[in-house]
Amino acid sequence: MSMFKQWFGGRKSAAEAKSRLKFVLIHDRAEIAPGMLEAIRDDIIDVIADRLQIERDRVAVNIEDEGGERRLMVDIPLAPARRRQGS
Amino acid sequence: MQATVITITSGKGGVGKTTTAANLGCALALRGQKVVIIDGDIGLRNLDIVMGLENRIVYDAVDYVEGRCKLKQALIRDKRAPELYLLATAQTRDKTAMNPEKMSALCDELRPDFDFIIVDSPAGIEQGFETCLAPADRCLVVTNPEVSSVRDSDRVIGLIESKEKDRTTHLIINRLSAARVKKQDMLSVEDIQEVLSTAIIGVVPEDESILSSTNKGVPVALGGKGAAAVAYSEIARRLMGEDVPLQPLQSGGFLQRLFGRS
Repeated sequence: MSMFKQWFGGRKSAAEAKSRLKFVLIHDRAEIAPGMLEAIRDDIIDVIADRLQIERDRVAVNIEDEGGERRLMVDIPLAPARRRQGS
Repeated sequence: MQATVITITSGKGGVGKTTTAANLGCALALRGQKVVIIDGDIGLRNLDIVMGLENRIVYDAVDYVEGRCKLKQALIRDKRAPELYLLATAQTRDKTAMNPEKMSALCDELRPDFDFIIVDSPAGIEQGFETCLAPADRCLVVTNPEVSSVRDSDRVIGLIESKEKDRTTHLIINRLSAARVKKQDMLSVEDIQEVLSTAIIGVVPEDESILSSTNKGVPVALGGKGAAAVAYSEIARRLMGEDVPLQPLQSGGFLQRLFGRS
């Protein structure tokens, strides 16, 4: 967030506090350090990228908590499909 | 009589555990309950000074547990309420002077003679916390509307729930500023409830009279008329089983200042 936005009506700090808390609590409760997810993310990229063209920078690994049920959510966008050239 | 043991805890220090323990004890006692408040913070005795009873301490809980006095001698009577007692902690650096078994035994001994035993837990999640948690029938987790306090509360609630003994756990949100919540500059009651998914038993607004009452050693619940005193008295009624709805907070605006607090 730019300084300008922060000073003049950007996101209110309470909303920021709430979303940051939700993030740390998901990791605290699961006893999984956020850095561990980064490592898992890198491993997944290594495995998948051998076989598929993926958008490495947009791969996301998160823990989601819905009503006490936790899931490891992995989102791997594939590289844009290219039409086959020629024939 | 068979007392309910209420342990007041928080994880984080400085959120108002001792103030809460003192005020809830006073509020319950003024409603005719027989109450003893136990300071569970060995080596960092503070409940006595917050309650204004510091010059009355002769024996403390550790003196009793180690056989240096009778229980009656360690119970400091607070004459400002019909039946209110303080059991001070020791100023020793030896934290092992108390442990979960000794604290449970002490509370069991007190149970037949009281309606409520309030245990003021130390900050942290180490032995002192475990000691104070052991006898608890219910827990009150004091939380400030601030990220580090809310996070620590979550940790403490997790630890309480991991024990075999089933306990009711409630949150007390302390030092809430309705004006700052209105400006969306502070976590709201609803935000905290959602993040921690734990029921709230009371919200104590930020109140300047708390500091001066602590300075004087007279808890606001002993006849104070400010917003915090009202909140403590409502929590006391809820602890006694009364159905008192949570009031929407006043933001302390112009009109309220003009006409003064009720």
